Amino acid sequence: MIIAEHLKKTYIVKQGKGLFREKQEIQAVRDISLQIEKGKIVGLLGINGAGKTTTIKMLTTLLSPTEGSYFLDDIDGVKYPVEIKKRINMIAGGERMIYWRLTAYENLWYYGQIYNVSNNVLKERIDTLLKLVGLENKKDVPVETFSKGMKQRLQIARGLINDPQYLFLDEPTIGLDAVVSKELRSHIKHLAKEQNKGILITSHYMGEIEELCDYIYIMNDGVLIKKGTVKELTTETFNRKNYVLRLDKHSKEITECICDKLKVVDATVEVKDENDAIYINSRENISMELSRACMEAGLYIREMYEKEPHLEDAIIRLSREVHHEAVY
Amino acid sequence: MNLKVLYGTMKKELMIKYRAYPAHFFVGNTLTGLYTVLGAWMMWKFLFEGNMAQDFSEITGTGDYISYVVVGSLTYLFVVRTCLNVSRSLITELREGTLESLMLAPFKRAEYFLGSMLVQTLTTSAEIIVSLIIAIPFGIDLSRADMGAFLIAFIVSLYAFFGVSMVLGSIMLYTRDTYISQNTLFAFLFLVCGISFPVQYLPEWLRVIAEVIPVTEAVNLIRVTLLSGSGISEQMQSVQYILLLSTAYVVVGFMQMKRCEEIALEKING
Repeated sequence: MIIAEHLKKTYIVKQGKGLFREKQEIQAVRDISLQIEKGKIVGLLGINGAGKTTTIKMLTTLLSPTEGSYFLDDIDGVKYPVEIKKRINMIAGGERMIYWRLTAYENLWYYGQIYNVSNNVLKERIDTLLKLVGLENKKDVPVETFSKGMKQRLQIARGLINDPQYLFLDEPTIGLDAVVSKELRSHIKHLAKEQNKGILITSHYMGEIEELCDYIYIMNDGVLIKKGTVKELTTETFNRKNYVLRLDKHSKEITECICDKLKVVDATVEVKDENDAIYINSRENISMELSRACMEAGLYIREMYEKEPHLEDAIIRLSREVHHEAVY
Repeated sequence: MNLKVLYGTMKKELMIKYRAYPAHFFVGNTLTGLYTVLGAWMMWKFLFEGNMAQDFSEITGTGDYISYVVVGSLTYLFVVRTCLNVSRSLITELREGTLESLMLAPFKRAEYFLGSMLVQTLTTSAEIIVSLIIAIPFGIDLSRADMGAFLIAFIVSLYAFFGVSMVLGSIMLYTRDTYISQNTLFAFLFLVCGISFPVQYLPEWLRVIAEVIPVTEAVNLIRVTLLSGSGISEQMQSVQYILLLSTAYVVVGFMQMKRCEEIALEKING
């Protein structure tokens, strides 16, 4: 398991122009603690330059934390970064991290050498990985002739060349078409669930995070502001419930009638009439009262359901709250 | 020590070089050798009119300026090529977007840089051999060369060039500049390290600086083994001095490189 506690990263940057530039401290990450279990997919989301990339760089030992502790399967990552490097890998979105003048096979071979993968294992692993990312027929073609999606797929193979126990995925599906993205998501699940790898993923596609992640951390301005499962995060962020109601009849009077009946149970209820449907927002579970109100009014319910909030809505809400706090 | 990183880096560098710079790159580099020889010959023939000052012979132990300057210039070519390849290796990775994936791996830095160095040594050696053949009609005299001693001098010199490359490489990575830093250093090395004239002609303070650059003594060592036929046992003091000085450069270079790698990685998205 990866256990990071109170990680901080401060950069010293020089401001201004000329020879005598002023030094300034920038706190990219102010305090983050997180855990990644083997076999689990953990999401790291951020709002407004939150410090996600710096966090991933610290967890992958590319950067040393200014403060805090980091252990991977009881190995101290701050003291022994080389031991951590042997057990992890990272896949970033885009077309970087591979040599464009080498072929797909040569790229994987070279990374195999610097990860000290035994030559007996390496050939078979390269073949398996190329097949996995659908590049087995392009293995001897220089990468510079590849499309963006093909380069990205090769990068995924590169990230698996050392058979890492933990994998860091930084926007892995950015720029990929829908089919390849779906295949990749399915493979990420396979890596976690079948091969027991611990995975940390960042993505701007909330649908992807919802589909994949067992647990999510949300950062803002270098600190952790929320954590939990998708369900926990959305429920916690949206403490009110949303219902959608469609009736056989539709009028302003009916909406007002339902609203009056519901206000007896929840004085804060909001009822809106839009596009042949009635949208109800309440802090209480009022599904029973809603059904009863319709029956009493002699209305036939065509459709009624509670609308589950999406993670994206939760993030937008959190973002607004954070912005509001910053302004006021 | 399985040398996988060294072998892998050599193979990768060769493949990239071969694909990026096909045969005409080799021809171009060989022509640089020709121009070097031709330039030295023209200076000697038309500027000095074949005459050298008497103290030149006293200082260098030879009146053969052509051989002196050709060996010096070709050694300088070696310094430039080696420094270019080794010093630029990490900044090239940075520019091509592979620095992070490289740094993610638990690879051995020394093997990586040595791999870069050996590839350059192979290709530059081929260029230098061609250049030496070109230099024969211009009057280079290698009849007194002690090849055994030269080989040792060459290996010791490579170590010296490696040390200089590491220091230059860390500066390049820190400043993210290749042109100003490398060209300034190369011009400086050409002027003070005894490439085309003895360092004794320099003012005292510049001579002191020249002495603490391992290239100066390395050029001298290669010259004496090739031109005076001096055995390596006679040059042990020089060998020890180069090894000691170069080790200091290697240690400082590696320490600086490690720090500059961190700064470069911070700057990528910082």
